[in-house]
Amino acid sequence: MLTKNDLTRYERQILYTDFGEKGQKRLKQSHVVVAGLGGLGCTASLYLTCTGVGHVTLIDCDRVDLSNLNRQILHYEEDIGEGKPSSAARKLAKLNSSIEVTPVFKKITEHNAREIIKGANLVIDGMDNFKTRFILNKACVAEGIPFIHGGVHGLFGEVTTILPGKTPCLACIFPEVPHRKVSFPVFGVTPALIAILQVTEAIKLLAGFGSLLAGKMLYFNGDTMDFTFCNLVKNQNCKVCGTKEA
Amino acid sequence: MSIKARLHPILQHLAGGQEVIEVTGHTTGECLENLESRFPGIKQQIRDKRGQLRSYCCILVNSESIYPKELTTPVKDGDQIDIVIFVAGG
Repeated sequence: MLTKNDLTRYERQILYTDFGEKGQKRLKQSHVVVAGLGGLGCTASLYLTCTGVGHVTLIDCDRVDLSNLNRQILHYEEDIGEGKPSSAARKLAKLNSSIEVTPVFKKITEHNAREIIKGANLVIDGMDNFKTRFILNKACVAEGIPFIHGGVHGLFGEVTTILPGKTPCLACIFPEVPHRKVSFPVFGVTPALIAILQVTEAIKLLAGFGSLLAGKMLYFNGDTMDFTFCNLVKNQNCKVCGTKEA
Repeated sequence: MSIKARLHPILQHLAGGQEVIEVTGHTTGECLENLESRFPGIKQQIRDKRGQLRSYCCILVNSESIYPKELTTPVKDGDQIDIVIFVAGG
């Protein structure tokens, strides 16, 4: 049920024909897990909060560092040393006190990933490494929870929406978990833009309108300002979501 | 024979800004070698010192993963090879 305050706060998006009060109610009833509170996760959780997703869980195991501040816009100088989930949650609570924000200071592992995401309507990928992304991918497939992948490097970014059982998952494309242990270059604008695209996908998916980046990767090239796509096909032999028996 | 290699955006500057390049070869490996001979910078990006594909690079043929035969899959006229780089930053 939308309150009078909800109708005022979300008035301009409720005006969007395919969304309306019905879409807003669906957002209000939704629970989204934001995995990682870095460049992607900060912007994603900011827009999930202001758009009225009823419950947002923020999970990360890192503390705020000065070198984060060129892109992780929910963390300020005064927060250096604090856990990222609580730093982010404090600002989000001031932005929208009518939703629930749950900070979780924890490392996502093979053992706890399914428990962390259980019951969520979707998971936003805000990770900064291959390993945890693939753990989340596997957990989302196992739990049947949509996973909106985003990744950035310099001025390049990518987004795709993984719908378990329907679309390829990350392991369909990369059967072995990639490894690369170097600091990556990044401008703050790149994760901001990619995170906004992730939340755009989340809003449509939760409210039930529009078309999704399902089975295709959207690439953003900030050098040339090109948006391009790569179609992806489900791998029947996929170790995570394949249907063929080994 | 017309086989198109489609470069991930992160590789395009190594090929003069081109996204799609026509290549020749009977297998994906031959097509990649053809591409790398014309644009040597690409080889450094997608292969390790032993000549194997780097773990964050994969090859799709007509949008489908060909793992683990990424360098030996036969290709035919009209096929499209996508060279995909997984970007991990967040």
